[in-house]
Amino acid sequence: MNLRSRWLAVPGFICIAVLATMLSAYSGASSSEGNSPVQPVHFRHTVHVDTLKMNCLYCHFSANKSFDPGLPAVGTCMGCHLVVQGSTPDNKAEIQKLAAFWNKKEPVPWIRIHKLPEYVHFPHMRHVNAGVTCQTCHGQIQNMKQVYQASSLNMGWCINCHIGQSNPPLKARYDCAVCHY
Amino acid sequence: MSSDSEQTTVTVAPNGVKRREFLKVLGVSTAATTMLGCASEKVEKLIPYLVSPDETVPGVSTYYATTCRECSAGCGVIAETRDGRTIKLEGNPDHPLNRGALCARGQAALQGLYNPDRYRGPMARKNGKLERVSWDEALQIFAQKLGETRSRGGAGNAVFINQHESGSFPGFLDAWLAGFGMPAHLSYDAGADHAVIAANRQSYGVAWPKLDFRAARLVVSIGADFLDTWGAMVPQQLDFADARANHETAPRFIYVGPRRSLTGLNADQWIDCRPGSEMAIVRMLAGQMPVDGAAQATGVSAATLDAFAREFAATTPSIVVAGGGGADGLEVALAANALNQSKGNVGSTIKPGEGYLGFDRMASPAELRSLVARMNAGGVSLLMVRGANPAFTLPKASGFAQAMAKVPFKVSFSSYPDETTEAADLILPDHHSLEQWGDAEPVRGTISLQQPAMDPVFDTRATSDVLISVAQKDPASAARYPNPDYRTWLINRFPGGATALNAALPRGVAAGSLNEPTTARPVPAVQAGAPIAQSSGNMYLVLYPHPFIGDGRGANKPWLQEIPDPVTKICWQTVAEMHPATAESMGLANGDLVDIKTAAGSLTLPVLRYPGMQRETIAIATGRGHTNSGRYAKSGFNPLEILPAAEDRAGGIAFVSTKANVTKAGGYAHIVTTEGSARQHGRGIARAIAIADLKADRPGYDSGNAHGSEIAQQGGPETPRGEQHEGAAAHGEEMPGDAPHEFLPGLRSPVANDAQGEQGDQRSNHKGMYDPNHWSGMGKRRWAMTIDLSRCTGCAACVSACYAENNIPTVGADWQVPQILPDRTGFGANILRSREMAWIRIERYYEGGEDGSANFDARFVPMMCQHCGNAPCEPVCPVYATYHAPDGLNVQVYNRCVGTRYCSNNCPYKVRYFNWFGYGEPARPQYAFPEPLNWQLNPDVTVRGKGVMEKCSFCVQRIREAENLATLEKRPLKPDEFTTACAASCPSRAIVFGDAADDNWSVTQLAKDARAYHVFEELNTYTAVVYLKKVNHPAPVPAGRA
Amino acid sequence: MAIASRPLPPRDEPRRPNLARADIQLPAVRDYEQVDREIVGTLRPTLYWFIGLGVAVFFLLIGISAWMYQIYTGLGVAGYNPPVMWGVYIITFVFWIGIGHAGTLISAILYLFRAGFRTTIYRCAEAMTVFAVMTAALFPILHLGRPWKFFWLIPYPNWRYIWPQFKSPLVWDVFAILTYFTISSTFLFIGLIPDIAVLRDRENISPIRKRVFSVLSLGWRNTDSEWRHFARAYLFLAAFSTPLVLSVHSVVSFDFAMALTPGWHTTIFPPYFVAGAIFSGMGMVFTIIIPLRKWFGLRHYVTINHLDAAAKLCLFTSLVVGCAYMSEWFVAWYSGNEAEQQFFANRIWGQWWWASAILYTCNMVLPLTLFVQKLRRSAAWLFIISFTINIGMWFERFVIVVPSLSHEFEPWQWTSYRPTWVDYAILCGSFGWFSMWFMLFIKQLPVIAIAEVKEIVPPKLKTAHAHGVDPSGRHFEFEPDTPGEFA
Repeated sequence: MNLRSRWLAVPGFICIAVLATMLSAYSGASSSEGNSPVQPVHFRHTVHVDTLKMNCLYCHFSANKSFDPGLPAVGTCMGCHLVVQGSTPDNKAEIQKLAAFWNKKEPVPWIRIHKLPEYVHFPHMRHVNAGVTCQTCHGQIQNMKQVYQASSLNMGWCINCHIGQSNPPLKARYDCAVCHY
Repeated sequence: MSSDSEQTTVTVAPNGVKRREFLKVLGVSTAATTMLGCASEKVEKLIPYLVSPDETVPGVSTYYATTCRECSAGCGVIAETRDGRTIKLEGNPDHPLNRGALCARGQAALQGLYNPDRYRGPMARKNGKLERVSWDEALQIFAQKLGETRSRGGAGNAVFINQHESGSFPGFLDAWLAGFGMPAHLSYDAGADHAVIAANRQSYGVAWPKLDFRAARLVVSIGADFLDTWGAMVPQQLDFADARANHETAPRFIYVGPRRSLTGLNADQWIDCRPGSEMAIVRMLAGQMPVDGAAQATGVSAATLDAFAREFAATTPSIVVAGGGGADGLEVALAANALNQSKGNVGSTIKPGEGYLGFDRMASPAELRSLVARMNAGGVSLLMVRGANPAFTLPKASGFAQAMAKVPFKVSFSSYPDETTEAADLILPDHHSLEQWGDAEPVRGTISLQQPAMDPVFDTRATSDVLISVAQKDPASAARYPNPDYRTWLINRFPGGATALNAALPRGVAAGSLNEPTTARPVPAVQAGAPIAQSSGNMYLVLYPHPFIGDGRGANKPWLQEIPDPVTKICWQTVAEMHPATAESMGLANGDLVDIKTAAGSLTLPVLRYPGMQRETIAIATGRGHTNSGRYAKSGFNPLEILPAAEDRAGGIAFVSTKANVTKAGGYAHIVTTEGSARQHGRGIARAIAIADLKADRPGYDSGNAHGSEIAQQGGPETPRGEQHEGAAAHGEEMPGDAPHEFLPGLRSPVANDAQGEQGDQRSNHKGMYDPNHWSGMGKRRWAMTIDLSRCTGCAACVSACYAENNIPTVGADWQVPQILPDRTGFGANILRSREMAWIRIERYYEGGEDGSANFDARFVPMMCQHCGNAPCEPVCPVYATYHAPDGLNVQVYNRCVGTRYCSNNCPYKVRYFNWFGYGEPARPQYAFPEPLNWQLNPDVTVRGKGVMEKCSFCVQRIREAENLATLEKRPLKPDEFTTACAASCPSRAIVFGDAADDNWSVTQLAKDARAYHVFEELNTYTAVVYLKKVNHPAPVPAGRA
Repeated sequence: MAIASRPLPPRDEPRRPNLARADIQLPAVRDYEQVDREIVGTLRPTLYWFIGLGVAVFFLLIGISAWMYQIYTGLGVAGYNPPVMWGVYIITFVFWIGIGHAGTLISAILYLFRAGFRTTIYRCAEAMTVFAVMTAALFPILHLGRPWKFFWLIPYPNWRYIWPQFKSPLVWDVFAILTYFTISSTFLFIGLIPDIAVLRDRENISPIRKRVFSVLSLGWRNTDSEWRHFARAYLFLAAFSTPLVLSVHSVVSFDFAMALTPGWHTTIFPPYFVAGAIFSGMGMVFTIIIPLRKWFGLRHYVTINHLDAAAKLCLFTSLVVGCAYMSEWFVAWYSGNEAEQQFFANRIWGQWWWASAILYTCNMVLPLTLFVQKLRRSAAWLFIISFTINIGMWFERFVIVVPSLSHEFEPWQWTSYRPTWVDYAILCGSFGWFSMWFMLFIKQLPVIAIAEVKEIVPPKLKTAHAHGVDPSGRHFEFEPDTPGEFA
C-alpha cells in the first residue's frame, strides 16, 4: 500500500514495544535500592566496623545461627557507651540521644532499610556459614556514613548467585520452595 | 513472611515501646505481613529489645514442657515459643499419659491463650456495669469483701467453685479457704462421667482405671465414648490404636448404644439399643436375663443379641465399659464392672493400679444443684468461681443463673467472658494455663509440671498469686504465706526443691508424688430421674458432649467450631440427628426444622439424617449456643435449655433421661456440613480388608466390606496388589497406560517428566527421574507419607494441628461473608459454599447399611495433598505457581499464583483451597485472626493473601528447618528426625512421614506393607501418600450356625 | 425516514434459490446510487439508537461496578462453590469466543467457497466477531483471583528468570485469542477500506469525519491497481484466517480436554467446540441481522434467500453438534470408566437435569424445524430460533463446566453451585460491552458491504444517466462477475 499506511503501522509497533518494556521493567522496578533514610540516632558503621574493627556478630549476634541477623538491644549499646562518650561534638550528641532512649527505657525506633517480602524466607545463618560475606548483599557497609540499600534484593539478583553467576561463583539450591513457602 | 522481617519488624508504635507492648506490637506486624502486604515502600521500624532476654535467639524457637489443662486428664505438652510468643503445642514424648500425641482440644489451647474476647484486666461492677479497674483496686475490693464476709460471720457460707484440675492447687486452695474460715472448694467438671467415676470407686477403688486394650480380645463399650470425650481420651486412643494395629491379637470391638458416636463408628459392630435399655444388655451378658427379654427391652433382634451373648461368653479376656449418662448410669456402670470382675478382666485388661488420677475429688453436679437451693435461700454470702461455668453447663432447669442473683457478692477468676462471669461483681482474670505455674499427677508416681511458656498476653494474674497476695494482707493467714508467690510455694513443696525442679523442667515430668488425697467426695441426696421410658414424648432425647467443644469450654475457639464434628461433619451449627428412616416417616429432609418439646422447654433445630441413630431416638450435641462467651460462641443452640433437671444416683447430670415430642416445625435451615457424598460409589478411596483375609494373605478386594455391596471396577485401583498378574490376566491384556500396581517408593517412583529441568537424569530407565547425583542434592530425597487406616480413628487431631502449624484461616464466622451475599445464613455461610480451608480433612465413608440397618461400616480417610509424582495440577498452571520439587514435593508458590484455579479443577483429590477473601488482611471483615489471635501465626509460614491457591505443603517449613539445623551441625538428616504437624499430634499414630528414598526412615518400611494402596492409582498420579487398608473384624460365625 | 418511499422488494422471488449462482442478486435494487444512498443513509443517528446505546452503556456500568466490588472484596463474592472453581465467567468466556466464530467463517471460508449469499451479511458478522472476541478476552482476566497479575501469563523477559508454563492450555489461550483478535480486526478493516472511501466522498457536513474517513480509507482512489491489490490482500487474509476459525476454538476446548476431569477429558472436544462455536455464531448473526434489516429498511438487501441459505448452514452445524453430544454418551458408556459413566448419568438425571434439558432442546431439537422450508424462510421464526440457540449454547458450556466440576472423582467433595448477583451483573455487563461497541459500529460504518453489494446489482449500462460513470468520471466496461469475487 502507500506511504501513509506505513506511517500508520509505526505507532502500533511502538505501542507493543513500550508495553513489553514496561512489563519487564516493572518486574524489576519494585526495588528500593539506594534507599537511605535518616535514622533516629546517627549510628556510624564506619566508626564501629572500619575504625574499631568490631565484629559484625558482636551486635548482629544471631546472624550465624538464625534466620534473623539480630538487632543489638539498647542495653548492648549502652554496655560500651556508658563509658564511651564520643570524641567529636556531634558524636557526643548522637550518643546522648542513645542515652536518652536508655534512660526513658525505650528502644530506639530504627528505620528498616533491608526488607524482603514476607513470602521470602531468607536464612541468614545459611549464608553466613556458607562464607557469604555481609558485604555481598549489604554492600561495603563498613564505609557507609549512613547505611543505604546497596543491592536491589530482587529475585533475579538472588538467583544470580544461586545459579553460580556471581563472582566468585557460589552455587546453592535455587528451587522455588527453598525460599518460598 | 520471612522470619527475618517478622522478628524485628514493627509497624510504628506510639509513645515508645516497652518489652511487653513490644511483644504485642509484634503480633500486629505479624498480622500485617500477609503476602499482599509486601509493598517494600511502606516505612517500617526495627524495634530492638531494650535488654535482650537470656538464652533466646531471635527467630529460633524455645521449647517449654508444660501441662495441658484443657480437660481433666493432664497431658504433657511442649510449647514452641518464638520471639516471646507461643506459636504451637506438641505432645510431650516423655509424658506417660499422651506419649507425644495431642488431641484437637489440646491444640486449641492456643486459641484460649490468644482469645480475642479475653478480659484485658480486672473488672469491677460499678453502678450496675462492669468497668475496668486497676489490680490494686480490684484486690483491695476483694480483700475488703473477704473481710466483710468474715466479720458478718458468713465465711462458713462462702463458696468457691473451681474448674476441676488435679495437682497441688486444689490443696493449696482449700488451705487458703480454711485460712479465711471458708469450706473446701467445689472442684467441678461438667464434662466428666460422674456415674462411672463413682462406680469405679466402688468396684475398683480408683476413679479411672487404665484400660489395657492390648491384652483384651473383645472390647464391649456400652455408650462409653473412650475415643472422644469419655475419660482420658488421648492415652485410651493410643492404647486402642496400638492394640488394633497388632493384627495377630487385635480385639474385636462391639459398641452398644442408641447413638453411634465416634467411638461407635470405630467399632466392628454396633448394637443400637433403645436409650435406657442398656441395663438389659448388661444383665443379658451376665446371664441374668433371657435373650428374648433383652431383645424385647432393647428393640434389637434376638438373633443379634444371642450371637453377641455367645461371643461375649466365649471370649476372654475382654473389656466392658459403660457410660453414656443415662438416669441409671450408676447401676449400669456397676453392673458392667461386675461383669469385668466375674470374667476376671480386672488386673488383666482393666488395671486399677495404673489408673488415671485426673478424675479424683470431683464435685458432682448434685452438689451444685444443692448449692442452687442454698443460694436461692440466701444462704450463700460470697461466691467465687474460677474457670468453671455452671450457669451454662448445668441444665437451665436447675436455675443456677437466677440463683446467683441472690448472692450478695460474686467473684469470678475466669479469664474469659461466660454466662457465670457475666453475673459476677468482681472479675480477677486468671492467667491461661500456658502463662502460669502449676503441677499435676496424671498417673501415680509421676509429677507433670506446668510452667509459663510466655509473658502474660494481657494484664491478668494467676489466681494462686492473687490468693497469696490477699492472704498476706490478711493478718489471720499472713503467717502461713511466707512465699512471695505460688511458684516459690511449689518449689518448696517439690521433692528435691529448686534444683530438682530445674532439672525436671526440661522434660516436664518428674518421678514422685504430690500425695494429694484421692478420696471420693460425699454425694448429697440426689434427685434421681425417673426411668426414661416413663417420660412422655414420641422420641428418646439423647444429649451428648460435642467431641471438641465438650461442655462448652471450646465454644469460643474458631478452630474447634470450624473443624467438622468427626461423626456428623457439622460445623458452627447445632442440629438434631435422626435415623433416615425415622426422618423419612416424618417427612423430614436434611435441614427441615423440627420442634423438640420436653417438660423443661422446647427447641427448634434443623434435622440431620444420620444412619448411626437408634430409630426412636433424636440426638443433640451440647456445648454450643452461648449467650455471652465471645464472638465465636454465639453459633448454635444449647440443648441443655430443654433438659429437665435429673440426676443419676451418683449425682451426675442424666443427659439421657427424657423423651421429647418431636414435630415438624416447617421452615428450613441449610446444614453446615463438609460432607459431599458419604458413599464411595465404588471409587476405592477408603479400602478395608477382613482380618481373616489379611492373616491368610488373601488380598481380596475390599473384603472388609460387610456386604460386598461394592462392585469391583475393571482394572485400576480395584485390582489387588501383589496379585497383579493374575488380576491382569483376569481382565485380559494389560491396558496401555495402566499404572504400575506396586508402589515404587523414593527414587524408583516416576515423577513428572517436565518437572526437573537440568536436574533430570537422562540415564535413568524410569523416564523422568531426578538425578540423585545432582550437585543440589535435592533429588536424593522423596518425601512421602503413609496413613494406616486400621489405626486412624477419625478424631481430627491432625486437622487442628494443621490449622495451628500452617496459619490456616477459619472462615465460618458469620461476619466473614459479605452481608450482601444472598445465601447468607449466619455462622458457616462460607462453608455452605464448601470454602473451608482445612489442608487436611477427614473423609467419613459408610459401607453397607444401605437398607438403614445398624450394620454398616464407617471408614475414616485423612485426605490431604497427595504430592503426586505425576501431578495433574502442575502442567495446567500457566505461571508455574505449582510445580514439582526434586525432593518429591508438589510445591505451591503463593506469591506466583494468579488464581486461575485450574490446578484445583484438575486435582482428582480436591485438596486445593482458594483464598476467596482477604482472610489474612486485618482491615477486612473476613480477617480470620482478630488481635491477638494473630500472635499465634507461625512465622515460618506465609500468611496467604486474597486470590491465591493453597494446599498441604508436607510442612515444607519443617523440612527446611531440619535441613538448616543439620547443615549448621554439619551432619546429614537423621532418619525420622522430624515429622509433619499432623503426624506429630496424631493420637493413634496413623500418620508417618519421611524420606521414602532412604530405607532407614520408617515410612519406607511401612510403604511396603501388604495393605498399602494409592487412592486413584489408575490415574497414574504416583502419589507420595500411601494408605494402608483398614482392617475389619467381622463377627465370628457361631459354631451352631456354621 | 428518508428511505420510506423506496419500493418494496417484489414478492416473486424464486422459491428454491441456487446459491451458487445469481439468485442472490438483489432485484429490488435499481442502481449503485440507490445502494450508496440507502446504505449510507442507515448511518444517520436516530433517537432509538441513542436509547439503545444508553441501555448498553447502562448494563456495561453495572458489570464494571460489580467487577470493581469483586476485585476489592475478593472472588468470594461470586458464586464459586469449591470444587466448582470455574463458573459463569468461564462459561461466558467460551460463549463469546464461540459467537466470534461465525463472522470469520462467513467472511473468510464462505468467501473462499464462493458462497454468494454471504455478501450482504458478512460485514455484520465480521464486526460481531471482533466485538465478541473483545468481550471474551475480558473474562480470562476477570475470573482471576489476582487480576492485576494477569500479565504473568504473557512471556516477556523479566528479572525473575521465570517464563510461563507453556504446557498450560491457559497460556495457549492467550496466544489464540490475541492472534484471532488481530487477524479478524485486520480483516474487518481491509474489507472496509473501499466503503470508508465512499463515506469519505459522500461526507460533506463534518470536516472532522471527512478527515478521519480519509485517513482510514488510506487514500483509496478506486483505481484498478488499488482494486487488484485490495482483492489479493482480501483473498490472502481470507485464506490466512480460515485455519484460525478451527484453531482458536480447538485451543479453547483444550482448556477442558487437557484436564482429566470426568466430562472434560475427551478427544472429541476440538471438533465439537468448533461446530458448536459456528452454530452459536450463526445464531447470533440471525439475532443481529434480522432486526437490523428491519429497522434499517434493508430487507431488499438481506433477502429471505440469504437468510434461507444461512439457516441451512445453521441447521447443518446443529446436526454436527447433536452428533457430538450423542458420541459423548456413547464414549462414556463404551469407556467402561465408572467415574465417567456416573458423571454422565448425573448430567442427565442428576441435580443438573434441567440444564441438560435446556441444552438438548435448544441445540438439537428446535433447530430441526429448519428442515421445513416455510420456517427457514420466515424471518420471525429464525429470530426466535436464534434466541433459543444463544441460550442453548450458553447452557452447553454451563453443562460442560459446572456438572463436571461438581461431580468429580472424590465423592466426599461433590457439591452444588449457585451464581450470585455478581456473576449475573458481570454477565449483563458483557452483553452491555458487546452491544455498546456494536451500536457505535452500526452508526459509524456501513453494516452492509457497499462495494460488494454493488457487484451483485445488475448493470445499468443501457440507461444514459450519470451512474454508468465511476466516481473518477471515466466510463467503464461492466462485465458481470461471479458473485462475491472482486475483479
